[in-house]
Amino acid sequence: MNMHAQPQRTLAETGLIDAFGERLSLLPGDGAVMVKRDDAIEAIKHGLPTRRVESWHYTDLRRLLTSVPAFEAGAVAKALAPVLEGSAVLPVLNGVSQAKLPEVEGVTVQRLSEKLTDGSAAPGLDPYGDDDAIGALNTAFVADGYFVDIADGTQLERPIELQNLQAGGQSHVRLLARIGAGAKAIIVERQTGVGDEALVSSVIQLVVGDGAEVTWLIVQEQPDTATHLAQFKAHIGKDAKLTLFVMNAGGKLVRQEVVVRTTGEGADFKLRGINLLAGDTHTDTTMVLDHAVPHTTSTEVIRNVVTGKARGVFQGRINVHQYAQKTNAKMACNTLLLSDDGEFSTKPELEIFADDVVCGHGATVTEIDHDHLFYLMARGIDEKSARGLLVKAFVAEVIEELDDEALVEALEERLDGWFSTHG
Amino acid sequence: MPAVQETIDRVRKIDVDQYKYGFQTEIEMDKAPKGLSEDIIRFISAKKDEPDWMLEWRLGAYRRWLTLEEPTWARVHYPKIDFQDIYYYAAPKSAPGPKSLSEVDPELLKVYEKLGIPLKEQEILAGVQKPAVTDEEAEIGDNVYKSGRVAVDAVFDSVSVVTTFKEELAKAGVIFCSISEAIREHPELVKKYLGSVVPTSDNFYATLNSAVFTDGSFVFVPKGVRCPMELSTYFRINEKNTGQFERTLIIAEEGAYVSYLEGCTAPQRDENQLHAAVVELVALDDAEIKYSTVQNWYPGDAEGKGGIYNFVTKRGDCRGDRSKISWTQVETGSAITWKYPSCILRGDDSSGEFYSIAVSNGYQQVDSGTKMIHLGKNTSSRIISKGIAAGFSQNTYRGQVSAHRKATNARNFTNCDSLLIGDQCGAHTVPYMEAKNATAKFEHEATTSKISEDQKFYVMQRGIPEEEAIALIVNGFVKDVIQQLPMEFAVEAQKLIGISLEGSVG
Repeated sequence: MNMHAQPQRTLAETGLIDAFGERLSLLPGDGAVMVKRDDAIEAIKHGLPTRRVESWHYTDLRRLLTSVPAFEAGAVAKALAPVLEGSAVLPVLNGVSQAKLPEVEGVTVQRLSEKLTDGSAAPGLDPYGDDDAIGALNTAFVADGYFVDIADGTQLERPIELQNLQAGGQSHVRLLARIGAGAKAIIVERQTGVGDEALVSSVIQLVVGDGAEVTWLIVQEQPDTATHLAQFKAHIGKDAKLTLFVMNAGGKLVRQEVVVRTTGEGADFKLRGINLLAGDTHTDTTMVLDHAVPHTTSTEVIRNVVTGKARGVFQGRINVHQYAQKTNAKMACNTLLLSDDGEFSTKPELEIFADDVVCGHGATVTEIDHDHLFYLMARGIDEKSARGLLVKAFVAEVIEELDDEALVEALEERLDGWFSTHG
Repeated sequence: MPAVQETIDRVRKIDVDQYKYGFQTEIEMDKAPKGLSEDIIRFISAKKDEPDWMLEWRLGAYRRWLTLEEPTWARVHYPKIDFQDIYYYAAPKSAPGPKSLSEVDPELLKVYEKLGIPLKEQEILAGVQKPAVTDEEAEIGDNVYKSGRVAVDAVFDSVSVVTTFKEELAKAGVIFCSISEAIREHPELVKKYLGSVVPTSDNFYATLNSAVFTDGSFVFVPKGVRCPMELSTYFRINEKNTGQFERTLIIAEEGAYVSYLEGCTAPQRDENQLHAAVVELVALDDAEIKYSTVQNWYPGDAEGKGGIYNFVTKRGDCRGDRSKISWTQVETGSAITWKYPSCILRGDDSSGEFYSIAVSNGYQQVDSGTKMIHLGKNTSSRIISKGIAAGFSQNTYRGQVSAHRKATNARNFTNCDSLLIGDQCGAHTVPYMEAKNATAKFEHEATTSKISEDQKFYVMQRGIPEEEAIALIVNGFVKDVIQQLPMEFAVEAQKLIGISLEGSVG
């Protein structure tokens, strides 16, 4: 967190500190958990991060978070039909987990409120760095969520969909997931809601066991009244594969952090992201990837479309530790900036301490290629349709890479939905 | 791999163990007391016979500096600098603005001979009949003839000692002198441009420099003039515990062209010495400024002891339409390098370039790069950065490219590559790209690797031995930048980067 002494608290900072005082008696947790909550609110008392904090350079949270809504005790959110047909749905409605859940073989689900009450969730509540504002916010206020354990060797036949749904007010949710050795799973994380001003914080802590294979999709479609602060943290074990797909297509102020560490040789991480930005919104995707052991690989491809007055940010930092020889890491961030009122900022960083590595990154910001446009228009396609086609193709390329027909179809459907309202 | 080891050895040779400029010169020095206060600034200003407005300017900067905090965002680590433990003014006693070389302290001339600076050229070209005393001297004379003509301004610790070729340049209308002289002789130009690119409030080190700068070079190329020769400045820190704060101001009027070279060395000392320079370039309509640096300050010894802290603010302002500013730097020295030569592309159709080679070895820390700020229409910029890290060094590229709302058709291409030699060093890339205009087109690519087995195989397959193959590849790695240097400096730069890098193997 920002350790600069702030001369005066902002409305949002005061709101959070006051809310903590009011909520304290309702928050689950044993002694250890409550100590961590106190530490977390202390960090918030030092001030929300400003652009002077390097990792928040393009998202000055202190300035952008102008107010925080109250907790809405009466708000009702309803579970939705899943993105992938046949998924087992684990809904969190306005920050509260459900007791009645579908049974899936090899999968154990526990409500997080129980793990907070008995203190077994305490060790994971520490922030990952002194600039971890989302972690601190979530630790202070988290009341519920799930712990999902997929047993070793389980080949999940249907996807699991975690739905974090809000209907205004504040909700702070955490999901812990362990994917056992050799297991295979597709997990969808759905972040959406309805209603008035909302502040959502969501933290995912995932451990991918040795040899496991996980495809994780984040589908963020918050209404443009919501501030969405999310964090996805994962450890990838030996010979395990994690493919993370992030689709941001909503929200007023969004920050999605991806914090990944390879912990076993042969681990492979893929990040694919599309940011569809419209209106007067701010969306930040920040990735910190640690190649901590030798012989691990990663590729990241992020595609952004910026329209209206939207502001987009991508920060990607790849750290290659000194002993992580034979690392192979590649990152690309491509942006179509379609509006003079929009803006996109990107900071792809490489921090490399090992010599026998191949690392690279590329970043581009541009408008639609005039040659491509001409090619289509010369074939009788009007300009608007031609532009639409090109923009869609630009992002669809990333989706098509997913090696699963059902996934590709479901995501393309969502893409079409966005284009029909914003295209 | 023996060949890699050899490369390491060669790089080590040039940078750490065989720092050939590590001599010091015993010259009588005129120093102000240690420490920084308004009195010291008044002292410096009085020493330089400065007008009142200049003193006020300095004091304003100093008061501002007191309110600033030392920046900590760069990837460099060093013990806190005690700004009160530094001499802010040190001048060779015998140099009250010498008119000719004969008035210069002979000790000083010896320094330049050791450096290989062709100060003698003035005499030679003026036809001074003076038999060479030593073979070395004769050789220097020869080299001057061979290498073409370069006008030199030499800055020793804090004071500009001698400027050559002044008269010939004056004929063309070019003003090339020390900044102190310019403040006295051309106050209207200095007033108009000083601080207009790097304002006194810009950053911690630039503000410090504005308060205490003691000398530096001033170049003014009037409208339509193509400067008839390369201009060059050599900076050297000699005295113990002194800070060197030089200030360079270069102005190219409409349609003018100038190429300026800068070289830096310092003696070997156990303590760290501070260097905080400011360079300002102003290019008006259709003007072009080419600024090259070969920086070889003392990097510290093999254990990381001593060396120069190099905190430099360099910025060029493409103020006029179709103007161009090009930075080329070869950074091999300094314990710490903190330097981001930048271009503000204000004029329509203006362009900026940045070519850099940064070699770090031993315990050196380099955090360097550039900023390209696109403000005008149809502006373009190009960044080529090559970092080579060896030993225990940390080598960071940090660059920013931004297009503002009205910068229609802004265009940038950035390429930064890093080569790692050894597993104890680090290479980092931190580019910032900010686009606020839909017609902006930015491309950035960066790679970090050691020499790839494929490349090596490809070359070796053609019958070239391994060592030579590596030399070839490293040679190719930095060539894009070397080619940008003026001939005179390209040779020196190649020497610095290492004999092997330009194909001396085999």
